[in-house]
Amino acid sequence: MSIVALESVHKVYPLGRTEVKAVNGVTFSIERGDFISIAGPSGSGKSTILNLIGCIDTPTSGRVLIDGNETGGLTDREITALRHRFIGFIFQSFNLVPVLNVFENIEFPLLLGKETANRKDRAEYVDFLIEAVGLTQWRDHRPNELSGGQRQRVAIARALVTKPQVVLADEPTANLDSKTGNAIIELMKRINRDLSTTFIFSTHDPSIVDIADHVIRLHDGVITEDRRTRDAVPSGAAGK
Amino acid sequence: MKLVLIALRNLNRQKRRTYLLGGAIAFGILIVTLINGFAGSFVINVSENFSQLLAGHLFVSAVERSDDGRERRIVGDEQPILGALEASGVPIVTVTRRSDFSGALFFQGTSVRQNIVGADWTRERFLRDRLVLVDGSFENMLRTGADGRRNGIILTRDIARRLNVEIDDRVVVRMQTVDRQQNVGEFVVAAISFDPGLFGQLSAYADLDYVNELLLVPAGSYQTIGVFIPDIQAIDESAETLYAALTERANVFPRTRGSDDPENPVAALFDSGDDEEWTGTRYRLLTLNDILSEVQQIVLLLNGAALVILLVLFLIIMVGITNTFRMIMFERVKEIGTMRALGMQRRRVLLSFLLEAGFLAIGGIVVGLALAGVVMFFVSRIFMGLDSPIFILLKNGYFTFRLLPVQVAMNSVIVTILTVLAAYVPSRKAAQMRPVDALRA
Repeated sequence: MSIVALESVHKVYPLGRTEVKAVNGVTFSIERGDFISIAGPSGSGKSTILNLIGCIDTPTSGRVLIDGNETGGLTDREITALRHRFIGFIFQSFNLVPVLNVFENIEFPLLLGKETANRKDRAEYVDFLIEAVGLTQWRDHRPNELSGGQRQRVAIARALVTKPQVVLADEPTANLDSKTGNAIIELMKRINRDLSTTFIFSTHDPSIVDIADHVIRLHDGVITEDRRTRDAVPSGAAGK
Repeated sequence: MKLVLIALRNLNRQKRRTYLLGGAIAFGILIVTLINGFAGSFVINVSENFSQLLAGHLFVSAVERSDDGRERRIVGDEQPILGALEASGVPIVTVTRRSDFSGALFFQGTSVRQNIVGADWTRERFLRDRLVLVDGSFENMLRTGADGRRNGIILTRDIARRLNVEIDDRVVVRMQTVDRQQNVGEFVVAAISFDPGLFGQLSAYADLDYVNELLLVPAGSYQTIGVFIPDIQAIDESAETLYAALTERANVFPRTRGSDDPENPVAALFDSGDDEEWTGTRYRLLTLNDILSEVQQIVLLLNGAALVILLVLFLIIMVGITNTFRMIMFERVKEIGTMRALGMQRRRVLLSFLLEAGFLAIGGIVVGLALAGVVMFFVSRIFMGLDSPIFILLKNGYFTFRLLPVQVAMNSVIVTILTVLAAYVPSRKAAQMRPVDALRA
């Protein structure tokens, strides 16, 4: 069963008296453990599709299925709980909470759920992630004391802390230099391999697109290419 | 939970804005606390000052009514009063015995109306401790004239100036006896006292025996016994027990509070019992609170005004808080979107903003109360003078403040609720935003 599926999805935005068709009848599915790139030029609908998969936006028509369940008709509370439980987010501009330090930013999603681990276990797990993204010595620093690459590593660790099935990354390397961007993609790939977490990222950088196992190319809200280059990482290789 | 930490740290992000908003809240609390503090001590100071002026906290007088209905205000037999005082167990600091009349003093064609109070200068220390003499001496009050009378009088400086008299000058008095007959007498100016403001000018002091003689009150009698008790707050309680003990021993007028007659509360104190048929001696118990019931109403008015000021101030401050939180919401809209995307429920977003407003209110309240404490400390150390027009409101020439903890708590709760309410609308708007709209903003 696909972990994410879109069926005939349309998304139309009102723009003054006219309408903009951001996504126009898109259908595709994503397997568990995929490392998938949604590629295309600016305005092609990449971010809109990520927003729909991330359940932070709703389609004008069509169906979005997460783990086989349709998201349409869920209440805001249910959708929020689904996002917390199932999806991790990495934003182009990092979107860290500026008043929290590295440790606190990563720990934050853990405190939003109904059941939380005890403080000691939580701290151990967060420290494990900090080490995994190579920020041990920056543990107590606030975002404004970190470089762009370091901030994005914090964002990656934060996205993984709830052990989500799917991590969405909206142009995660757009605000980084190419070397740091490559390192971030490498880190994501490693996590995908080690934890078999499904990564869906949007990009318009051709060198990054090639690293993906599965590429969906968009133009004007329509899929122009849906190509699998490698098989998805089999599930069951969960990390700590 | 991290929400508390985030709320506290968010307050620290825009320090100037936080200081301005917190300062506005602190200012509101400062003003209201000062008014409450002043109103709290107002009633005590006025009571204390009046108790000095009237020479007691509890007052027992007596009216003698003959068969033909004529009334005279005389305590001819003090045994029921002394017996009741002893039996009631009311703690007593000191007892004063007084007769008084209102008369016109004449000197070389000038006249001034005065209340002349007769006191026993040989037995009583109270007036010697209270009056500050600027000329003459208390010993002059003990001098007897050629006719064997002690007819010395102590005038206040202002009255002495208006009559243009000096020590040993003789002034004539015209007054009414207890039988409402015209009478005249002569006083010798024995001393001139410091003028303790408006109320101090009302009374001149003379010898009890001579005042009784002028009033045609028998020697050894008097008109009012005044009782000082140690705790001014216990006046009503002491009056109740004394009244019960007095009714067992004598015919007593029913107790009536001055405020029972809204048209003329003071007259109402003395009207009670007039409709009843009685003869002989009937005693009347009055307290400082009966006489000053109007003061209590002033205090209620002051506290009411303080509450209105608090509410008006805070309506203005609330507008500022609402606008500021609207601004904060726009500044942090991306953060709100991020938190919502990460799985934060709407009510938690709302809570995080309300917590911030709550902490802002608490900070403002703490600073406001601290400032009020400092202002009270310094103001209460400024000597306003004994002849200040507001002397009656002061304690020995100093402002005093008295705050009830419940009042402080109530003000704090009101301010916190209003601040949180002011932040509620923008906070709710922030919580209701769709994550995608917030992230895109």
